[in-house]
Amino acid sequence: MIDFKNVNKTYPGGFHALKNINFSLQAGEMAFLTGHSGAGKSTLLKLITLMEKPTSGQVIINNSDLSKVSYSQVPYIRRNIGMIFQNHNLLMDRTVFDNVALPLVIEGLTPRQIRKRVEAALDKVGLSSKLKCYPYMLSGGEQQRVGIARAIVNKPPIILADEPTGNLDPKLSLDIIQLFEDFNAVGVCVLIATHDLGLIARMKYRNLTLTQGKMITDGLAVTEANE
Amino acid sequence: MKNNTQKTSPSLIARLLSPIHQGQQLIASFHDLWRTPMASLMTILVLGISLALPATLHLFSKNAERVSAQWQTAAEISVFLKMSVTEASAQNLVQRIKLYPQVQQVRYISADDAMDQFKKLSGFGNALSYLDTNPLPITLLVTPTQRHSQPMAAKALLEKIQGEREVEQGKLDVEWLTRLEAIMVLIKDIVFALAALLSFSVVLIIGNTIRLAILNQKDAIAVMKLVGATDGFIQRPYLFTGFWYGVLGGLLASATVSVLGRYLGLAISSLAELYENQFSMQGLNLQELGVLLSIAVFLGLLGSYISVRKHIRSIEPNAD
Repeated sequence: MIDFKNVNKTYPGGFHALKNINFSLQAGEMAFLTGHSGAGKSTLLKLITLMEKPTSGQVIINNSDLSKVSYSQVPYIRRNIGMIFQNHNLLMDRTVFDNVALPLVIEGLTPRQIRKRVEAALDKVGLSSKLKCYPYMLSGGEQQRVGIARAIVNKPPIILADEPTGNLDPKLSLDIIQLFEDFNAVGVCVLIATHDLGLIARMKYRNLTLTQGKMITDGLAVTEANE
Repeated sequence: MKNNTQKTSPSLIARLLSPIHQGQQLIASFHDLWRTPMASLMTILVLGISLALPATLHLFSKNAERVSAQWQTAAEISVFLKMSVTEASAQNLVQRIKLYPQVQQVRYISADDAMDQFKKLSGFGNALSYLDTNPLPITLLVTPTQRHSQPMAAKALLEKIQGEREVEQGKLDVEWLTRLEAIMVLIKDIVFALAALLSFSVVLIIGNTIRLAILNQKDAIAVMKLVGATDGFIQRPYLFTGFWYGVLGGLLASATVSVLGRYLGLAISSLAELYENQFSMQGLNLQELGVLLSIAVFLGLLGSYISVRKHIRSIEPNAD
């Protein structure tokens, strides 16, 4: 589902953000991506969502080699990836409903289909009552869940989350992670970037660790050792 | 869970329904104009005034053409016959010229009549009676039909008449007609040049307004791109906005020209009355209003399209 082959990323100015990254995530797998700030987590996620292009190497998402994707094809690739951000990235002048509906409107679904699926997605994250609210009326945790609802509403095969628990207390963080576990249980491939090591320690998921642009473990060996 | 096949194109149903969605978006974008009433109003005003100016000049040149058409019917060709031509053969010539399809009327002035007129008008009076013989030839005044009263056609007619063997010389005072025509052409050129310049500025103004709207929505556009919106999807509301600017600006220009035309019309008819001339100002007809509106809509769309092409592509999502 997600394949990195000898991927290097050097930013203009010479900063070597990723060094020879190799890993592979299967469909229906859930994994954490950890490392200190500046270790390259965000860069790695940007490569998957086509916000950046690798300097060398191959990134293959859902059987598409991203280096061969033309500008006009980029949106269609992104529709297969539900992306969740630390800063939520919601449209502040639209209601919760409109925010969650956005990916479906873009795909051109009928209003009836949109309503049905948006309500289902908001129900899943426990925000059914906030349908008509604007994002600024919600707490940080609620905004984060609106972002999650938007990421899953078009049922993408891949969910990426960048520090989804960044500003939340441990209880809320656990709730959010459990949401991701639920999605994973129905077969979605989930990759969560976080530096919240305490959170990960309580779970037995594959853990990819980056240090200064190098992947020091892709988690596979650890999982085998645990078993 | 969705299977692994990629959603590379919208479903058939979505495609069939998309015109309905776009209609809804078209109306929604009309309401969007009132989110920023002042900016929208300013753009519409600029558009309206910019288009009203060349339209008014067009109105002016159109009416001036009608006036000059009235003058041109007065064009006459004076034909002076050879001294040797007798009255009988002159009458014969009159009959022949009258048969020309280009000729509406021929007036015969005998040498004596011409002399009388000359005595009256020239002021030489009795001095002329000392002349032994009448030095004036027989003169014919030929009035061309309306279709052949334009300078070029009248000139052709003159040459034809000069080909008759009885004719010594023909004279057509076309100088002022050609000058008038040249002035009309000049005015039309000015209208065209002005219209082109103002259209260009309208495109720039709308482009800039749309650019500001895009930059205002930069974050929202980045988010839309991130969740898989195509450039076409993001562009559409801005193109609709440009469309509405065109419609409203065009209507405003039409209204301005109508009001201006009526106002000037009153002044012109009272002036025409002083010259004992029945003249009423003609406003823009439906077809011209349609053209004006279409041009406005076209410019609105063009301005927004240029802006949208340039600016939406440059906005890229950023996770930070």
